[in-house]
Amino acid sequence: MSMPGQSEWQKKWASYAPLVPLLLIFVGSLGLALAKSSALERDMRIAATQNMLWVVTQTQMEILMLTLAAGNPSATDDQIAQRFDLVLSRLNLMREGPQARYLAGIGHLDTVQLMSGALLELDPQEHGHSPELHAGLFDLGQRLHPQINRIANDVMTTDWEKTAARLDEYRATQRVIILSVGFALTAALAVSWLLLRNQRRLYLTQLERVRTTSLLEQERDSAAMYRDFAAIVSHQMRTPLSLIDSAMHRLSRKGDQVTARDVLERRAIVSDAIGRLTRLVDTVLLLAKLDNDQLQARFAPLEMCALVTSLVTETQARHPARKLHLTCAEGPLLAQGDPHLVRHIIDNLLSNALKYSPCDTAITLRVFARDQQIACTVTDQGHGITQGDIPHLFDRYYRGQDQQAGHGTGLGLAVAHELAQLQGGRLTVDTWPQKGSVFTLWLPLAKQDRELDR
Amino acid sequence: MKTARLHAALFATIVTAMPAAADRPILTLTGAVRDAPVTLTRSDLKALPQHELTTSSSVTDGTPVFEGFLMRDLLARHDAEGDSVQALALNDYQIEIPVSDFLDFDVIGALYQDGQPLSPRDKGPVWIVYPRDDHARLQDIRYDTRWVWQLSTLHVE
Repeated sequence: MSMPGQSEWQKKWASYAPLVPLLLIFVGSLGLALAKSSALERDMRIAATQNMLWVVTQTQMEILMLTLAAGNPSATDDQIAQRFDLVLSRLNLMREGPQARYLAGIGHLDTVQLMSGALLELDPQEHGHSPELHAGLFDLGQRLHPQINRIANDVMTTDWEKTAARLDEYRATQRVIILSVGFALTAALAVSWLLLRNQRRLYLTQLERVRTTSLLEQERDSAAMYRDFAAIVSHQMRTPLSLIDSAMHRLSRKGDQVTARDVLERRAIVSDAIGRLTRLVDTVLLLAKLDNDQLQARFAPLEMCALVTSLVTETQARHPARKLHLTCAEGPLLAQGDPHLVRHIIDNLLSNALKYSPCDTAITLRVFARDQQIACTVTDQGHGITQGDIPHLFDRYYRGQDQQAGHGTGLGLAVAHELAQLQGGRLTVDTWPQKGSVFTLWLPLAKQDRELDR
Repeated sequence: MKTARLHAALFATIVTAMPAAADRPILTLTGAVRDAPVTLTRSDLKALPQHELTTSSSVTDGTPVFEGFLMRDLLARHDAEGDSVQALALNDYQIEIPVSDFLDFDVIGALYQDGQPLSPRDKGPVWIVYPRDDHARLQDIRYDTRWVWQLSTLHVE
């Protein structure tokens, strides 16, 4: 038992095996994209704080302001001192930490040190303010200008180069990210497709299983049906045969003392049994023909009233104790159908009515035309049909819930119904509990009759 | 590097050697403050409760120790009523700072860096310093621009 289970597991997992590399590609690509974008994000944050160009231009401006102040005869000592301090503070800033490293990188840190040294040579805090010092500051400012301009120039080009290089890097990173996301997307699509395919396969397998099961059930059902059929038919045959047998036995036991009345009595029994046998054989034969499409109906206009009258007469003869009433509507009642089949149907309805209603009640038949059809109703005063039986009334082998043990093949009404349909007609039923049932055979109006109508 | 240290030592000597400089006004408060304009000397600012703050900055290496007054203490002392201040520096640098910055963070007006008084020849005499290392939100160029050096005027509005 464990072996098939194991192989099924293996099979199941094997169908998911292609998912593993795809999932790895998916997760790997996505992971790479994530790592790359996170690095990019960090890098952009650092890049934003670098503002060397601003520091240099500020210094440039302060040198210019000091030069202007020093060259202006109306400038106060305090104003010049403040300008001096501002230039010095900017130069100090350039000589600190990240700024100093940047300048060293482009070879200008020494220039800034020299500029700062030259400025401090003329420190008003040390030498005091004098027109000579101011003139010296004016000269120095003019000399520092080209130097700081050179630095600003180099910082700008370096910044742009760095920015361009950084943008190149960003672009390359973005390309990798886009590619990774593309891979991830493709992998995700492939995974989805595989999953869908597996699901569809699973669904088809299940469908196949269901189909096989239902075929098996059908096979089983039809086997059961044939078994039932054989059992029912043989039982139904045995009953009239044993009736005939016992009637014959009684006659033979009486030997010479047999009277004409005895013979008459037994004859009625035997004839009834033979009638039942004949109907049974007829039904089974018709059934076989129906199933094999061998039934060849000979359609012709039938005078329904005449046909039903003769049937009622024959039946009354067999059942002298029962009350049978027949009413035919006036005028010609010509139906289109096969006289043999129609007889079989009505005979079946009539014998059912006799069978399922008390002996002292009457059975009424009516023949009439309605809506381009000829109807023949058979009304009994029996117990009516149980509500649950009605939908299955015309099913083969259905024998009714309270008729299980009783007689009946479950074939009569089914065959009658199929025969009615074969002739373009139908069989309907109305029933009232404890009051009785009405079975109606509807047949199309005979062709020439319909033409006459028009 | 050697010259730089020499110069720093020199400034320190000059500042300490000139006690009169401590009485020169270095910061002016204007706008919505009591008795505006208020001029404040270094000793006025040192009279406020002093705080230490160790943090990195975008223009220095390492984590210098800054010492000074809390910006919110300064505003409270002078009954400042407003949502923002315009900070103006000696070089005419100007930026608007929301007062909420001073309430949400311990922003100081630094007077000392690593024990040395800040001079106008560096980033003094007052440098607005944010506790950058304590809050990730402050590690952003938009906050870096509010670190005003050489602060000279605060206009409250």
